[in-house]
Amino acid sequence: MSQEIINADVKGAQSNAIKCLNISEKKVGLFVTCLVNTMRPSVGFAAIKLLEDAGCTVDVPESQSCCGQPAFNSGDDEGTRQIAYQTIKQFETFDYVVVPSGSCAAMIKKNFVEVLKDQPEWLARAEHLASITHELLSFLVDVCDFEPSGVELEGSYTYHDSCSGYRSLHVYEQPRKMLANVKGLDHRPLHGHSECCGFGGTFCVKYSDISNEIVAEKAENVLATEADYLLGGDMGCLMNMAGKLNREGHKEIEALHTAEVLAGLAPQILGGKNASK
Amino acid sequence: MNKQRNEISRERIFDAIRAAAPTVTADVKAIQAEAADILRESEFARPDLLADDAADALVQRIEAGLVIGTSCEQIATMDALPNAVDQFLAKYALPKALQVQRIERLQKLNWGSLSTEVDIKNDNTVGLCWAEYGIAETGTFVVHSGPDMPILLNYLPLYLIAVVPRSKILPYMDDYALIANEIAQRGETPRNMCLISGVSGTTDIEGVLIQGAHGPEVLHMIIVEDQ
Amino acid sequence: MQANKPENFYQNVKDALAQPDLKMIIRRTTDKAEAKRAEAIANFPGFENARKQGQKVKDHTIKYMDHYLAEFEKNALAQGTIIHWASTAEEASKIVLDICRQHEAKKVTRSKSMLGEEIGLSHALDNSGIERVETDLAEHIIQLAGDPPSHIVWPAMHRSREDVIKLFREYHKDPTYSEEIIDLVRSARRDLRTKFLTADIGISGSNFLLADSGSSCTVTNEGNAELTITPPKVHIVTAGIEKLVPSMAHAIPLLRLLTRSATGSEITQYITFHNGAKRPNDADGPEECHMVLVDNGRTKMLADGMEEMLRCIRCGACMNHCVVYKHIGGHAYGSVYPGPMGSVLTPHLNSLEVANKQTHACTLNGRCEEVCPVNIPLPKLLRSLRAQSWDKKYEPLTNRFVVKAFAALAKRPMLFQWVSSCGVIFMKLCSRKGWIRSMPLAGGWTRNRDLIEPESKTFMQQYKAMKKAKSDGA
Repeated sequence: MSQEIINADVKGAQSNAIKCLNISEKKVGLFVTCLVNTMRPSVGFAAIKLLEDAGCTVDVPESQSCCGQPAFNSGDDEGTRQIAYQTIKQFETFDYVVVPSGSCAAMIKKNFVEVLKDQPEWLARAEHLASITHELLSFLVDVCDFEPSGVELEGSYTYHDSCSGYRSLHVYEQPRKMLANVKGLDHRPLHGHSECCGFGGTFCVKYSDISNEIVAEKAENVLATEADYLLGGDMGCLMNMAGKLNREGHKEIEALHTAEVLAGLAPQILGGKNASK
Repeated sequence: MNKQRNEISRERIFDAIRAAAPTVTADVKAIQAEAADILRESEFARPDLLADDAADALVQRIEAGLVIGTSCEQIATMDALPNAVDQFLAKYALPKALQVQRIERLQKLNWGSLSTEVDIKNDNTVGLCWAEYGIAETGTFVVHSGPDMPILLNYLPLYLIAVVPRSKILPYMDDYALIANEIAQRGETPRNMCLISGVSGTTDIEGVLIQGAHGPEVLHMIIVEDQ
Repeated sequence: MQANKPENFYQNVKDALAQPDLKMIIRRTTDKAEAKRAEAIANFPGFENARKQGQKVKDHTIKYMDHYLAEFEKNALAQGTIIHWASTAEEASKIVLDICRQHEAKKVTRSKSMLGEEIGLSHALDNSGIERVETDLAEHIIQLAGDPPSHIVWPAMHRSREDVIKLFREYHKDPTYSEEIIDLVRSARRDLRTKFLTADIGISGSNFLLADSGSSCTVTNEGNAELTITPPKVHIVTAGIEKLVPSMAHAIPLLRLLTRSATGSEITQYITFHNGAKRPNDADGPEECHMVLVDNGRTKMLADGMEEMLRCIRCGACMNHCVVYKHIGGHAYGSVYPGPMGSVLTPHLNSLEVANKQTHACTLNGRCEEVCPVNIPLPKLLRSLRAQSWDKKYEPLTNRFVVKAFAALAKRPMLFQWVSSCGVIFMKLCSRKGWIRSMPLAGGWTRNRDLIEPESKTFMQQYKAMKKAKSDGA
C-alpha cells in the first residue's frame, strides 16, 4: 500500500501558531490516557504538536495514570474515587485539560462528579475539573478555532465516531472539519459511523465473543468503504477495529488516530513499521 | 375476591410508595397546576398538519397513503351516501350487502337494492358506521360504544366504511382529549372510546405488513359535508 | 423451546452465538424498525419537544404516584370496575386465576401484554386447565411453538415463515396450504375468529391508566385487544402501577412517542380507552370489568433510586438499537424483558444476584439512551446496578481481583507508569511483525483479534527523555 505522508508545512504550522497566539496563551495539561501511553505514544506527541500549533503551552504531568473507567464501569465506585482524587490534584490548576480520547475525557467530565456526589469538597473540585476538561479534537476546533494547514496525506479515509465522544461530548463535525484541510485526503462515509464497535473497555474481554460479533460487522462496514485509512479519536476503538481487520488478514486499510494525521507526525513514528511492510 | 388480602396488598403498595418518596405534596391543587403546565407544551410537541383546515388535512393525509389501507371520499349530503356505498361495493366486486349501524340517520336513508343487515360474525363482510369524530393529525375516526354502536361492528368486517361528519373533524388528538373530558364532566363517558387510524395490520411474520389481520383489510372514510 | 434462565446468561449467550441464522433473523426486524423510526422522527420536527414533554408526564406521575394511584382507584371504582391489588407476580396471577375459576371460565382470550408475561399468567392459566388463546398474531405463533417471547414488540421475531407454515398446518382447524404470508395471516384469522366470539373471559394489558377517569388504554395494530375484550362476559386488565398518567390529554404525547419509537408508524391503528363494564343498554361489551394493579418490584425501584426506569413505555427502541441485543437476541437474557430496558428491569423483578451478568453485557455506548422516547438514562442505570452488585460482591472473584488490582495501581501514578513500561517490554516480547496474535493474560482480547505492537517505550518514558534532552541541550 502506498502511504506517503508528507510532513506538515512548517510555515503553515507557524502561521497557525501565530494566529492562535493572539487569542489565547492557554496553559494546557495533557492527560495522556493509558492506551496512548502504552500502545501508541505517537498520538500523545501528535496531540502536543497540534496543541502547540494552536497556540497552547502544553505540560504533561508525569504523575498521571488512568481516568478510572475500568473501575467505574465495573461498579467499583471506591476504586474510582481513589483514582479521581489524584487526577483532580494533578490537573485542576491548568487552564485546560485536554485528552486525546472521547471516552477518557467523558469519564473526567461526566463521571467523576457521579462518584464524588456525596463529598461536597471533592465534588466542587471535580466540577471544576470537568469544566476545564476537553476532548482533543473538539478542543482544537471549538476552543482554539484551529485549522491545520499544509498537511498532506494521499488517499481516502473513513471515520468511526466513538460512542463516548459522539454521544457524551458531541464530537462529530470537528474532526471532519479539520480533516477537510488535509490535502489529498478524501472522505468515505462509513455505514453505521456512530454504531458501537464492540470495544466497551472491559466489555471486550468480559464478553469477548459478543464483542467479536460486533467488531466483525464493523470491520465489514469499514472494508466496504474501500478507504485507505480508518480514523477515529479513541485508541480503544481503533485498536479493536484494527486488531479485527488484521486478524482477518486485511492489510489494505490502516487505522490511525486523527491527531496523528492532523499533526503530520505519523510517518516519523510509523517509519520503521512502514519500511518493514 | 379476598377482601382482606386485597386490603393488605393495597396498603403495602401505598406504604412503599410513600416510604420511597417521603416528600409527597398533599396539595392537590399544586399537583393539578403542575399537570396542567405540562400540557401547555403540546403546542410545540406535535407534528404539523398537512393543511390549515382540519378536514382538508385529514383528507390529504389519507390521499398521501399515510393511513394504512385507507381511502376516502367527500360527499355533500347524507342522501349521497347509499350511492357512494354502492360504488365502493362495486369497486371491490362485493355483493350488495352490508351491516349498517342501526341509528336513525343511517337507517332512514334510501338504500335501494342494498341489503343492510348482514351477520358480521361471518367473515368477508362489509360494515358501515357513523363516526363521532375525525382527527386530522393521525387520520383517525373515533367511535363511542353505546346502545346503537356495537364496538364489534368496527372490528369484525373485512371491509369497513366510516362516515365522518366534516364539522366533527378535529385537528389534533389533544382536541379529542378535551372533548372526552367534557363528556366525562357530563357523566356520559361511554364504555369504549375507539380511535381507529387505518386497518387491522400485522408485521409479525418476517416483518411483512399484511392488512386484515383480524379486522378490516380495507377502510373507506366518507366525509359528509352536512348531516 | 424452553425458556432460558437469567442466571445462565453466559451459557445462553454461547448458545445464541452458535445459532447460525439468529443474527439474520433479528436483523430482519430490528434493521427495519431502526430505519422506520429514523424516518418517522425526521418527519416530526417537534420530536425533541415531545420527548421532553413525555418525560415530564411520566416524571410528574411518578413523583405523585400515591396521589394518582388513589385517584385512579376512586374513579375506576366509580365506573364499576373491580380493583385488585397485587404486590407480587404470584399474587397477581392468582387473582386472575381466581376470577376465572369464579366464573367457571373454560376458555380465555388474551391480547398481548408484557405484564401478563411478567407475572407468569400464561403458565398459570395453562397449569389450571383453562384454554388460553393468545390473539396477537405473534403471541399466537409463540404459543403454538411453546416459545417465550424474544422481543417486547415482536415476540415471535425469532420464528421464520417456514416455522409458521409448519405450526399453522399442525394446529389450525382449517389450515392454508399456501406459503404466502397473507394466506398464513388469513389462516390465523379464521382460526382465532370463532375463539374471540366464544371466549368466557378476555384478558388484556394496558398501555396507559388514566387517573382522572379510571380508564385503561390499549394500543394495537391488529385490533385484537377490542376483539378480546368485547365479546366475553368478563374483562380482566392486568397493569403495572407505573402505567399511570394523569389524564387522556397526558397520554397523547406518550402515544406520539410510543408508536414512532416502536415501529416507526406515526400512529398505531387501534387506540382504545376502556372505561369499565358495559353500560345497561350497550349493544355489546363485558358485563364485568376487573383490574389487577401490580407492583412486583416497581415500588422497590422507586426506593432504590431507579425511578427513571418507571418512565418506560415499552416501545422496544432500546433493544432495536442495541449492538448486543442484535447479536444475541432476546432469549439469551433469560427474562420477559430483554435488551437494555430488560437488563435494568430484570434485577428488580427477579433479583440482582440472579440477573447481574446482563448488566455487564453492555458497552455503555449510549445508543439506547439516545433513542429512548422518554430519555431514560439506561447506561447510567446499568452502571449503578453494576455498582450495587460490586458492593454485594456478586462479581466473579477473578474480575473483582483484576479491577481492584488495576485501581490500586492507578491511584499510585509512579508505580502505574513503571508497570506500564514493564507491560510494554512484555508485549514487545510477544509481538511479531507489528502485531500480537496471542499473549498470556490477554486471551479475552487475542482470542478474536490481534493487538497492535506497542512502540518500544511508553509515551511517558519518551516524553521524559525528550524533556531531559532539551534541558541538557539548553
